[in-house]
Amino acid sequence: MKLIFKFTLLFLLISMGVFFLGGLITYQVVKKEIDEEQERFLLERLDFFTRWIERRQPTEPFIRDKIQVYPLESGIETEVVFSDTVVMHSTLERLEPHFKLDVTKEVQGRLYRISIYDLIVEEDDIVDSVKESMIKFYLLLTVVMLIVGGIAGVVLFRPFNQTLEQIKSFRIDQKEPVAFDKTGTIEFNKLNDFLREMTAKVQQDYRSLREFAENASHEIQTPLTNAIGKLELLLTSGDLNEEDTNRVVATLGSLKHLSKMGQSLNLLTKIDNREFESIESVDFSNTLCLAIENFRELIDLKSISLETDNQENVMVSMDPILTAILINNLLSNAIRHNHEHGFIKTILNHQGFSISNSGIAPAVEPNALFDRFRKDRHRGEGLGLGLAIVKKICDYSGFTVFYGYNNQTHHLDIAFNT
Amino acid sequence: MKVLLVEDHVDLAKNMHTYLSKEGYVCEVSESVEKAMSKLGGFKYDVMVLDIMLPDGNGLDILRWVKQTDSEMGVLILSAKNSLQDKIDGLELGADDYLAKPFHLAELNARLKSIFRRRQLQGSSVIEYQGIQIDTEKHEVKVKEVLLDLTRKEYELLLYFLVNKNRVLTKQSIAEHLWGDYIDALDSFDFVYQHIKNLRKKITQAGGKDLIQTMYGSGYKFAAVS
Repeated sequence: MKLIFKFTLLFLLISMGVFFLGGLITYQVVKKEIDEEQERFLLERLDFFTRWIERRQPTEPFIRDKIQVYPLESGIETEVVFSDTVVMHSTLERLEPHFKLDVTKEVQGRLYRISIYDLIVEEDDIVDSVKESMIKFYLLLTVVMLIVGGIAGVVLFRPFNQTLEQIKSFRIDQKEPVAFDKTGTIEFNKLNDFLREMTAKVQQDYRSLREFAENASHEIQTPLTNAIGKLELLLTSGDLNEEDTNRVVATLGSLKHLSKMGQSLNLLTKIDNREFESIESVDFSNTLCLAIENFRELIDLKSISLETDNQENVMVSMDPILTAILINNLLSNAIRHNHEHGFIKTILNHQGFSISNSGIAPAVEPNALFDRFRKDRHRGEGLGLGLAIVKKICDYSGFTVFYGYNNQTHHLDIAFNT
Repeated sequence: MKVLLVEDHVDLAKNMHTYLSKEGYVCEVSESVEKAMSKLGGFKYDVMVLDIMLPDGNGLDILRWVKQTDSEMGVLILSAKNSLQDKIDGLELGADDYLAKPFHLAELNARLKSIFRRRQLQGSSVIEYQGIQIDTEKHEVKVKEVLLDLTRKEYELLLYFLVNKNRVLTKQSIAEHLWGDYIDALDSFDFVYQHIKNLRKKITQAGGKDLIQTMYGSGYKFAAVS
């Protein structure tokens, strides 16, 4: 529910209580006023009848509508007493509550008990009218509040909705900071200030991280190039004995490994940093076809038989660079973790891509292979990052990847989830 | 051939200098944008090896400036970032080639020779050594006037040997030259061996000398047996 409507409802709920109390108070005030009026009216009537008794000096009880006068033989005078009573109403022909005045009074030396009663406003009429006016007021208030709420929701919350839109379209790698408009509301200004600081901080952190990843790559690769060059010059000098040569070659191998690791970790970082944002419709079939051509020779050299069941024109929405990296990783894995005269089978259709290849069983739990640096102890040449990269690219592109091993065959299935 | 090396890592520049000098190149080193600009203003070079990340600026700025003034010079970009964007930017600005760090010196040499051939040797694209002729334009190899039937990889391998003759080439460097980043170390060494075996066979069958020497443990050397 919209905040403004919650607020309106709460307001209406509270005002219902207030109106109820207001009704009670109104009733009390009106009732008191009317009672006073009635007392004054009855006292005036009493004066009138007193004067009438003075003139007529009745000896018989005098009973008329709304007045009873009884001459008394003995007794004492009393104060005027007001009370409520129920009397048959002459025109309405039903019992109605009336206001009554009783007094025993001495007029011209004789005692009279005088009762006067009348009805100016009926009590339930007061209740009814108070109730009715309160309900009408309340309905009016409700309607007004709903209209005001609707308008206020649009007008007052416009800056808030604007902020929401800006945050929704915020991209961490955008260069310029998010510019929020100044609003007339303190709360929204506070929110905008906070968001401005936070997004600026996030952008700053992202930039530093990205720069760090790039610089780290640079700072690692350049000394590695230097070291490799030095060792190659050493080899070229030709003065080394066999043992030294082997050491130099082994060192070269390690340096190459280090460099590749740096590049792979850099790639993972880049994916994490969402640097591959050019999501477009990529011809997966074509990319796969080109990659297979590139690997054809390596496949032949290892006498691996390749069986393909690839549909053409399979379009996938992902970053084209990542598509190539993904396919290259899968194919080179399938070749590397294969044996001579083994096989590779690829199936591509609009639902997904699957690649299976012969090879010995992995020593670690299948799905742990997706973790970084999890690799088979039997084969030390890999970096242990290949499948981590595959997994990361799949996650990033919204694909599901599954690895399984049976019948001496590795299976890797990717579902495009389109 | 005059080469200007623009590289801020002095030691690395020294490696390139040493390797290329032995090839008969005249090399000069600049370690900053400013120094490179002043050298380029005063002298003429055939090829420039250009590192993109320099302490006082971006190497691509030098490239931009060079392409406005001297379109004759070949440019090879070095980059540690190995990012596709850098590569595209560089080539679009008119660089001839792009080499990602880390690279093998033999690879650098082969790329420079290739640039040099493309730019300078119009008409004479034939490299000859010990009776082996490579026509780099037609992609043909002749041994004693007999045309060899080589696969693309075998041709590339032979050319790589020839431009780096008398040098030890590690199996790693050969594998990377032939297959680039598609391949991981150990497996590829067998492949290198198979290609070399085939190449040897084809050359000797055509009556050529087997100039590919196996250097124990380290790799191969293409040289006349002394």
